[in-house]
Amino acid sequence: MSNLTLDHVVKRYSSVTVVKDVSLAIDEGEFVSLLGPSGCGKTTILRMVAGLIDPSGGTIRIGDRDVTRLPPNKRNIGLVFQSYALFPHLTVHENVAFGLRRKGQSGAALDARVGEALAMVRLAGYGERYPRQLSGGQQQRVAMARAIAPRPNVLLFDEPLSNLDAKLRDEMQIELKRLQRELGITTLFVTHDQAEALSLSDRVCVMQDGVIQQFAEPETIYRRPATAFVASFIGKPNRLAGTIRGGRVALDEQLELRSESDLSGDGRPVEVFIRQEAISLAASGDESVNRIAGTVALRSFSGPQVKYVVRIGSDQELVVEAPSSGPAGDLAPGQPVMLEVHPQDVLVLSRETAP
Amino acid sequence: MNDQRPTLPVTTIALLVVVFLQIPVIVVVLASFSETSYLTIPPQGLTLKWFEAVLTDSAYLGAIRNSLVLAIGATTISMVLGVAASYALFRKMLPGSEALTSLLMSPLIIPSVVIGVALLQYFTLVGLRGGFVVLLLAHVVITVPYIVRSALASLSGIDLSVEEAARCLGADGFTAFRLVTLPLIKPGLVAGALFSFVTSMENVPVTIFLAGPRQTTLPILIFTSVEMGVDPSVAAVSTLLIIATVLVLFFAERWTGFHRFV
Repeated sequence: MSNLTLDHVVKRYSSVTVVKDVSLAIDEGEFVSLLGPSGCGKTTILRMVAGLIDPSGGTIRIGDRDVTRLPPNKRNIGLVFQSYALFPHLTVHENVAFGLRRKGQSGAALDARVGEALAMVRLAGYGERYPRQLSGGQQQRVAMARAIAPRPNVLLFDEPLSNLDAKLRDEMQIELKRLQRELGITTLFVTHDQAEALSLSDRVCVMQDGVIQQFAEPETIYRRPATAFVASFIGKPNRLAGTIRGGRVALDEQLELRSESDLSGDGRPVEVFIRQEAISLAASGDESVNRIAGTVALRSFSGPQVKYVVRIGSDQELVVEAPSSGPAGDLAPGQPVMLEVHPQDVLVLSRETAP
Repeated sequence: MNDQRPTLPVTTIALLVVVFLQIPVIVVVLASFSETSYLTIPPQGLTLKWFEAVLTDSAYLGAIRNSLVLAIGATTISMVLGVAASYALFRKMLPGSEALTSLLMSPLIIPSVVIGVALLQYFTLVGLRGGFVVLLLAHVVITVPYIVRSALASLSGIDLSVEEAARCLGADGFTAFRLVTLPLIKPGLVAGALFSFVTSMENVPVTIFLAGPRQTTLPILIFTSVEMGVDPSVAAVSTLLIIATVLVLFFAERWTGFHRFV
């Protein structure tokens, strides 16, 4: 068990820099997700940690050991692939035993370790089968057993659940979290699924264009996104243009909102993020909240939730999510509504230069 | 159309084509049992004396031995070189991979006679002539495309991350290849090796330019015997070749199911 440190890691491909000066310190036993859209460099980082790609610059350390120039087989890592990458010509037992055999184990000790690993992923008794005889979820569990059996210092996951259907994915998330807790292995988990990252991780590292946007606990990422990118990537926020005016944020001439974000710099152009689920359609009578008058433009029913598009101010729109069973579940288009938003849910961030 | 069975005319034509294609083989096999001293169909009488003649004739035995040594040697060398080259080409380890692949495959397209003449000139220029080594090198050139083709096809059929998985689990590059990639591409390689072997065994146009008197191979001997007048021993040796080929293909298919890669 060791911590994992990336120090000013860079990866360049001829003219393109896909990872730009990334520094990241992951504590021993910690579960960290790399989250971002495809092409943000998260998989490249994972593969550099595994040793499958050479970094163009910087250092990677596992524990006290500089592994930057070591081949994958000298790093003592476990990698779980998106495609599972099981050895199709070997039985489940031999798949799991592969890493142990490379460490010179054999006989009863080896069988015991394989059995232990298979039991951990609840596949005891499946040893004699071949990967093709297993379901997708079972294959994924074999891949995990194979990765953990040699007791690696660091576990790496490359979008391991994205090939599974939604229900199975939920089960596997819980399984994976339980497993990681039991073993206490430092884990780096790459995903583009924000819900997965938030629910599994101790800390989440949000990336864009090869740069870390924010590295923090899931709650912080969700509640206090550091940049406009993080705010727009996490959750389903409304994104509006605004201007700072007298300690408030103005959406247009009439509409001003209170916020707990930094509102300094009069006249500064900003972006305002309000989450769909943070907007209330019920009158609370609380004086400290923002009240926004609007008109329902569209209603969309999706079972437990109803979504409304509400026209506010002169020409802006907010998407509002409400429980369909509540009093606000049955508003018709054209109906005037009063929206309430708590100042802490109005996020004001500097406008990004790039759109 | 729910009925997947071919109609009667289609079946008839297919059968006729198959029979037509097999007629030369049938003729040769039948002729080898004839008691006459010339080739004739249907065979007159029934005898195994031509087989005996072949198997006691030192010229034939020497040629069979030459051919086998050459085919096994060329296939072994082609296998090592071809698999290594295919792996590098497939992994795009080299610049100009596409061009190199075309270059390696070119002996399939260029007429064999041209290759034969070209190699003769080349070996004369560099001062290598009329020896087993020359013949072996030439046969490597003409057999390597079969190995490369089947190896590339097999490699493209496997998930490359399995080898990465092996490396992450503590196997060095060669061990990962040996324990994971190689077993997965084996059926394709067996198919390629068989093609390579057969190509070397039956080659006339390249061999005839390069073989010295002591390197006469079986097809060259058959070729020259036919020129000098045909007796059924030629048919007998051909029959032996056919039987050997059928047996090899049968067992290779049983062991590896290689037909998927042909």
